Amino acid sequence: MNAWFDYTVNGFVIGNIYALLAVGLALIYGVANLVNFAHGSVYVVGAYVGWAAITYLGTPLPLTILCVVIVSALVGVGIERIGLRPLHGSSRIAPLLATIGITLVLDQIVQLIFSPDPRAVPMQVPEWRIPLGGGTIGALDLLIAGIGLVSAVVLYGFLRFTKLGWAVRATAQDSDAALQMGVDINKVNMAVFAIASALGGLSGLLVGMYYNQISPAMSFEATLKGIVALIIGGLGNVPGAIAGSLILGLTESYGIALFGTSYRNLFAFVVLIAMLVWRPNGLFAGRRSLPPEPMTGTFITRSRPLKVPRWAVVAIIVVAALLPLTGHPYLLQIGANSLLYAMLALSLTLVAGTVGQISLGHAALLAIGGYASGLLALDGGWPVALAMPAAGLITAALGTALVFPAFRLTGHYVSIATLGIGEIVSLVILNWTGLTHGAIGLGGIPPLEIFGYDFGSVESTYWLSLVVLVLLALLQVRLLNSHLGRSWRAIRDDSVAARSYGVVGDRYKALAFGYGGFAAGISGAITAHIYSYINHETFSASISILALTMVILGGLGNVLGAVLGATLLIALPEAFRDLAEYRILIYGVVLLLLIRFRPQGLLGTV
Amino acid sequence: MAAFLEVRGLQKHFGGVTAVADALFDLREGELLSIIGPNGAGKTTLFNLISGLDAPDAGSVHFLGQDITRAAPERLARLGMARTFQHGRVFGNLSVLDNVLVGAHTRLRAVKPAVPVVGPLLEFALAAVRPAAVKAEEAALRDDAMRILSLFGERLLPRLDHPAFSLSYANRRRVEIARALALHPKLLLLDEPTAGMNPTETAEMQEVVHDLKRSGLTILLIEHKLEMVMRLSDRIIVMDDGRRIAEGLPQAVRNDPAVIEAYLGHRETGGAQQEAVP
Amino acid sequence: MSATEAALLRLDRINSFYGPVQVHFDLSMEVRAGQIVCLLGGNASGKSTTMKTILGLQRPRSGQVWFDGAEITGLPTPAIIRRGIGSVPEARRLFGAMTVRENLLMGAYTRSDRAAIAQDEERVLALFPRLRERLKQKAGTMSGGEQQMLAMARALMGRPKLIVMDEPTMGLSPLFVDRVLALIETINREGVTIFMVEQNASLALGIAHYGYVLQTGQIALDGPAAALLRDPRIRDAYLGGTTAA
Repeated sequence: MNAWFDYTVNGFVIGNIYALLAVGLALIYGVANLVNFAHGSVYVVGAYVGWAAITYLGTPLPLTILCVVIVSALVGVGIERIGLRPLHGSSRIAPLLATIGITLVLDQIVQLIFSPDPRAVPMQVPEWRIPLGGGTIGALDLLIAGIGLVSAVVLYGFLRFTKLGWAVRATAQDSDAALQMGVDINKVNMAVFAIASALGGLSGLLVGMYYNQISPAMSFEATLKGIVALIIGGLGNVPGAIAGSLILGLTESYGIALFGTSYRNLFAFVVLIAMLVWRPNGLFAGRRSLPPEPMTGTFITRSRPLKVPRWAVVAIIVVAALLPLTGHPYLLQIGANSLLYAMLALSLTLVAGTVGQISLGHAALLAIGGYASGLLALDGGWPVALAMPAAGLITAALGTALVFPAFRLTGHYVSIATLGIGEIVSLVILNWTGLTHGAIGLGGIPPLEIFGYDFGSVESTYWLSLVVLVLLALLQVRLLNSHLGRSWRAIRDDSVAARSYGVVGDRYKALAFGYGGFAAGISGAITAHIYSYINHETFSASISILALTMVILGGLGNVLGAVLGATLLIALPEAFRDLAEYRILIYGVVLLLLIRFRPQGLLGTV
Repeated sequence: MAAFLEVRGLQKHFGGVTAVADALFDLREGELLSIIGPNGAGKTTLFNLISGLDAPDAGSVHFLGQDITRAAPERLARLGMARTFQHGRVFGNLSVLDNVLVGAHTRLRAVKPAVPVVGPLLEFALAAVRPAAVKAEEAALRDDAMRILSLFGERLLPRLDHPAFSLSYANRRRVEIARALALHPKLLLLDEPTAGMNPTETAEMQEVVHDLKRSGLTILLIEHKLEMVMRLSDRIIVMDDGRRIAEGLPQAVRNDPAVIEAYLGHRETGGAQQEAVP
Repeated sequence: MSATEAALLRLDRINSFYGPVQVHFDLSMEVRAGQIVCLLGGNASGKSTTMKTILGLQRPRSGQVWFDGAEITGLPTPAIIRRGIGSVPEARRLFGAMTVRENLLMGAYTRSDRAAIAQDEERVLALFPRLRERLKQKAGTMSGGEQQMLAMARALMGRPKLIVMDEPTMGLSPLFVDRVLALIETINREGVTIFMVEQNASLALGIAHYGYVLQTGQIALDGPAAALLRDPRIRDAYLGGTTAA
């Protein structure tokens, strides 16, 4: 009995922490129509500012809180002013992609300043616990509940009784009308980012105290949890976000009670997908239909793609094929790595660029491919030459089936859904010990060997990857030039008009995800056989983001661009090895600069 | 004889506002019927209800004897209904030619098998392998698309490879109509085909629509340029506030006091009207 | 020149575009202080764009907008509102989830004189007694006619010199149309200049002092309202494609 009481208290406390995050996301969505994927970064900033204030300045709790609130709010203002406001008037996905770039940059800056190692936040609250109803409540529980409550009351008062608060609500309801009342929308946006970030930073500090540990890596999970709570409550619904957070906190806590800690996140993401499929407008919305997207094809940047002559493509392939003759094993290793990433980028450029479904969970396809091939070879005893193509087909089928429920979603919802599905895949791999060997991972995967020929050497790995990539790329170009290509692009440009001409969205999205799953699955399979060991973290979510950066760099939908983007982003950081620490930072900055100054990528969107 | 298109008691409300109240009309084969009326009269909503983009709250639509109330737009496309959109919804990043070819989507043999899983896989295989039959079909579609594009003279032919977003507004409207014609429709719904066009372009468009009508195509037209409506239509329906306020031959409608009132206003029209109507 | 000096609002050779389409062709017009001026025209004649140009929601490619003796072309919308223009947008555009009172106070957003705002609230509520009963009600739950009144009251709360109205009678029942028109006249008598865009020519000319008829981005016809009301060319401007020259 008392255990259940403790689980309830715990769920409630975690719910409060989520609420501080989700409320900010809801406010931002309200005024800016944007799901802020950088929100977790502010939370990390808040946690570290708190840690630094206590550690270096010895601040008492109220002062710590003040420091966190002020610095986080300033970071929020910076995000709005530097990262997002200049994108006003650009294509619809630009701000969403920018928040991804911002999160890469911010997390990396925190990591560079404070090191990636976890830190313990000194406890600033007395350690006593009150026995209550069979369980106990500690001072920290009360503090968190108190801060949650006070924040909610202050926020309510702000929105209800201050002029700026009215302006925020008015802007959220109808920004054009608010403008005609004399409201300065930029000021409102900035205020909202400041408030949302202050709350997010506070949340980070509290979570640091609660778990007595902080690390830059917790940013991603915080963003995800905030978004899940937001979706439960309904995008842009502030009270809904609070309710959604408490529901999420309690669900997780009871889930842990029933199944164990490793299932915590699985619960959260299953709830997310269920909500997206059945109640995309949140638990509290009357309407079930999705809000309409703006009318015409402004989703991706308009451009005329660069025409690369056929002989140049042939020349590139020839040069690439001759690379092993240089006898540079290190170079070849990077080359092979680039080729494997290029396969992933091919897959993503089709799904995100050609069909316009911005997938943020693409690394999961690598994981499925890697595990499928590894398990077939290892536990099934299949020859590697058969296991790899089979893995490609399994990934195609499984990947498509997993995303299928999300096909009716559009815009931001697709990104959120694919992010959630990606996490579910990695959690299932972690927890389905019977099949995947669980946390131990897959060890001793047989090396690349095709019909007796050993591809274990660097050269042969490279050549094999090159052949596979060229075949996949040629096939993709062929598909793009067929009626499939124009149907895919028609769906992206205007799904309503496409339907009116009989182009059924589900069918063509499934074909795109199927082919994309195959390409990514093969890449994952080859990787697994090269590495000989993989686990649930080998294909992490950061790879999804990296792949997206490659695809944007090359030009969305552009086959050659995807290969170029992968090569540049894998090879260039190697050329500047002294800067290895700054690698992610560079990716983030590249992404931000691209979105701002060359949204069509190097070779142009197709 | 059953009507080609039969609209009975269609209603649509948005919140408290009635966009379409009890729409009722028949369209005969080969006829050109125009729907006119002031802004906000519910014309485009009516189009959306007929073409499956919006579901009516009540009423029914029959097309070629089949009940198509609340049918999905892709089904209507297969049945041979094509439409254009009020503000123009071309596929911005597709070339002019590709836009028109998307219009021919339902005619492709590869998309015909509606069997789940197998159908799409077969379609995928045909696109990847591209046997001679598929190549021939694609070539025939291209020829057909060129023929359709040539209806607009030299307006679009020199721009086959241009992405649609780079076209002038008038050319985008032409691409939309070409895309609709590529479906080989039995019924064509045109929503303000001349919006944003200057008088010369409007006259050209009028010619094109006239030719289509003469070739026997059944057309439902929404248009604001009344001169064009008067010249082209076999019959006109006038809508105001979601209801039909008049129906008939062009000349009769033009002089109908209710119509004049709908356009010029409800009050104190007496003086203006007497002088205006010859 | 004297006529120009008396103009509270003046549009001077405006050329504006919507994407690649030119909407206004050298459009010039003026609104004299103290008058009700209406801009008439059929569908797609460029009326709404005129409104957007005045409010700074859309920037003309060339030409100038003058208000109260100063050029306001290209100013951000809030700055234009601050100079004394109130807006009653098309389809009202109330803040539906906010209360009637909050909507009124949003109308006074550019002001900070609390005492005077409270006074104006009283004055406006005296003009629109129906709103007083509903101060705490959510604006979105009111009927169309009541919403139109709130939209007008909201615009008045900014103490504007000029109120621009986009189709104030659209979608209203005849009873409310009469009431809204009467209120427009009352507001005008209290010294507020009115510029309204209307599709319903007879109604608008019935209360206006001066009217302009817009046809494909150009003024086809203008004159004192009483004269326009009797002018047969107005029918051609709406119904015919022929130019009313």
